[in-house]
Amino acid sequence: MEIKYTIQGLLIYATIAAYLCAFVTSLLRRAKTGHILYLFGFAIAVFSFGYRWYHVRHVPLQNLFEVFLCLGMIYPVSLFCRRFLRVGGYSADMLIGVIVLFPAGFVFNAEPQQLPPALQSWLFTPHVAVYMLSYIIMAKATFHAISQLAGKGPKPNENLLPPEQATYRIICVGFPLLTLGLVLGSYWGKLAWGDYWGWDPKELWSLASWLVYVGYFHFRYMFGKKHPRINSFWAIAGMAAIIITLLWVNLSRLFPGLHSYA
Amino acid sequence: MNLEAKYFSIIIYSKHGNYKYQLQIALNKKQAERASVNILANNIYLAIITRVEFIDGHKGNLMNKFRRAVMWVGLALIILLLFVSVYGAFIGAERAQSFINRLPLMVYWIAFLLLLIVALSVFRRLVRVPGLLLIHLGCVFILAGSMWASEAGHKLQKKLFGIDKITKGQMEIHEGHSDNRVLDDNMQIKELPFSVELKDFQIEYYKPAYLYVQTRDGQGWKIPVEIGSEFPLGPEFGTVKILRTFENFKVTIEDGNRKIIDDPQPGLNPALEVQITSPQGQVTTKYVFERFGGHTRPEDKLALSYRRVISDYISQLRIIKDERIVAEKDIEVNHPLSFGGYRFYQHSYDAEAGQYTVLMVVSDTGVGVVFAGCWMLCIGVFWHMWLRHIVGFDVGSSFVHITARIKTKNK
Ligand code: HEM
Repeated sequence: MEIKYTIQGLLIYATIAAYLCAFVTSLLRRAKTGHILYLFGFAIAVFSFGYRWYHVRHVPLQNLFEVFLCLGMIYPVSLFCRRFLRVGGYSADMLIGVIVLFPAGFVFNAEPQQLPPALQSWLFTPHVAVYMLSYIIMAKATFHAISQLAGKGPKPNENLLPPEQATYRIICVGFPLLTLGLVLGSYWGKLAWGDYWGWDPKELWSLASWLVYVGYFHFRYMFGKKHPRINSFWAIAGMAAIIITLLWVNLSRLFPGLHSYA
Repeated sequence: MNLEAKYFSIIIYSKHGNYKYQLQIALNKKQAERASVNILANNIYLAIITRVEFIDGHKGNLMNKFRRAVMWVGLALIILLLFVSVYGAFIGAERAQSFINRLPLMVYWIAFLLLLIVALSVFRRLVRVPGLLLIHLGCVFILAGSMWASEAGHKLQKKLFGIDKITKGQMEIHEGHSDNRVLDDNMQIKELPFSVELKDFQIEYYKPAYLYVQTRDGQGWKIPVEIGSEFPLGPEFGTVKILRTFENFKVTIEDGNRKIIDDPQPGLNPALEVQITSPQGQVTTKYVFERFGGHTRPEDKLALSYRRVISDYISQLRIIKDERIVAEKDIEVNHPLSFGGYRFYQHSYDAEAGQYTVLMVVSDTGVGVVFAGCWMLCIGVFWHMWLRHIVGFDVGSSFVHITARIKTKNK
């Protein structure tokens, strides 16, 4: 735990505070105010990301600090799901925003780094950006999976999908992005190292997360109606695998003797 | 009128009895919108609530049982690969690679490939629905291409067609020299039918480089390396000034005197000459080495280190065949050279003196197939999960599809 006494740090804390206020307000059934606060938090998050971009002079998606900063801009995902998928969960999204910004604000090192040769490629931004977008979408799906298991759902007057179907729809939005991220990664691997697949731990975890969702689709197709709760377990397992993929470089320090790559 | 109550459903079983389509006819647009897909036809809103459903446990014929078995095995193979990946992640890249190339895994890959082909031939929807076809066929391409590109695949090609290619290996080439020998992954030396010449090898660094100064109690400064500029370290430590930079620092003895030079001979020993002026006006000169940092004496108040960040490695290559230059490219990380069925990658270099480069040489057999498969898979998932809903293509087609099925059922 370390507090960042910098403008960057301040911006992150301001975003967290706005999201938290938005969350509390919407729990108090002041949806309109909550929404405005959420939007306000999003504006700071965008500014904070832009500030970082200006500061390091390359797209800030190089290390965990920067990608978590990026994940903090979750608002458009909420909006999209509400508008086009009939999937709600705004207050949960505010909380997801807080959860992803917390490590950026208090844990990860924000020291700017220069791009090593392997990262200087046009594939760097699309590969990471697509992954981050899919991760945040899958996080939202996980929330709906958990609500299904908890027996919670939208009220009938809200015109929203029940949680099981909501989970499926969100995963259908996130999965193509996850696939694209994997393919761009292997294409990049081919360009940079000569191998489209190197079997290194980070790659294998990303394959594992992808396979969990492939398993989810086939399981749901076969038994989805009969065992709807198990569908949700698949979705939650997918998120667990994603978290491990994202944090593996840090987690692998817990397993002595493992080498790892960023 | 209570709109909610005016739903009625039709359930249609497909010819083979293993699919179930559930249609709902809604009376107005609002109701229809509640369904996942809806179509307006002759003022009746037709809403397909459950697109398709695989009926597990349906008392079907033999073919059905077979389909169910295929799905089961498919799911089992996916879960197995999931566990293998996680296991592989725990054992590290090198061991994972050899683990994956062992016989049981080879059997696994073949089984997976065959199962996908079987699935494509027994599930008609996998062929009829364009997205599903692209997804599963893409996987077939990826698996087949990888097998073709693997070492076993190369051996097979040698046996069947007499094509003898090096699968993968490394070459070390010195500046101004050319070579055609490749040390392959089995530690054997093989020869390419042409040679590769290294005109020049360069390492580039980010500018500015930095001098890091640290006190014993953890206070630190990061000073950009600019010759002549003076940098204040506060009232306790005085100032620091960078006097000279060296690419290849050397000490020589001339006329019995020690002399410090930047040696133009090949070698790599980057260093800085730094002048520290204490608050009392005492001046000391220090040399800070990039490669041998961290030597501090007990009386030193400050620890100095010199760090540069590499921005690029560049190998200027020429391909020479029959004593003619047939290709030329400056390769960098992320910018390989393709020639004669091989690709040449910047892999490593001479860290001691920057005199040679190490290239990775990889055969390009099968790689095109793998990437064709990757893009099919990607286009497939985007089509199936995004685009067809956006352009509304599938709505119409599944309607036609279903009415067609109703007709066949009625016959
Ligand atoms: C190995 C054996 C496999 C079998 C037997 C199989 C079979 C099937 C079947 C029968 C469907 C349902 C099609 C329908 O909606 O009627 C399906 C859907 C699907 N499959 Fe596979 N598949 C296999 C492997 C894979 C793999 C490796 C992927 C990787 C991407 C994959 C991705 C998908 C996706 C994304 C869907 C769509 C799910 C949905 O729309 O909800 N499948 N598969």
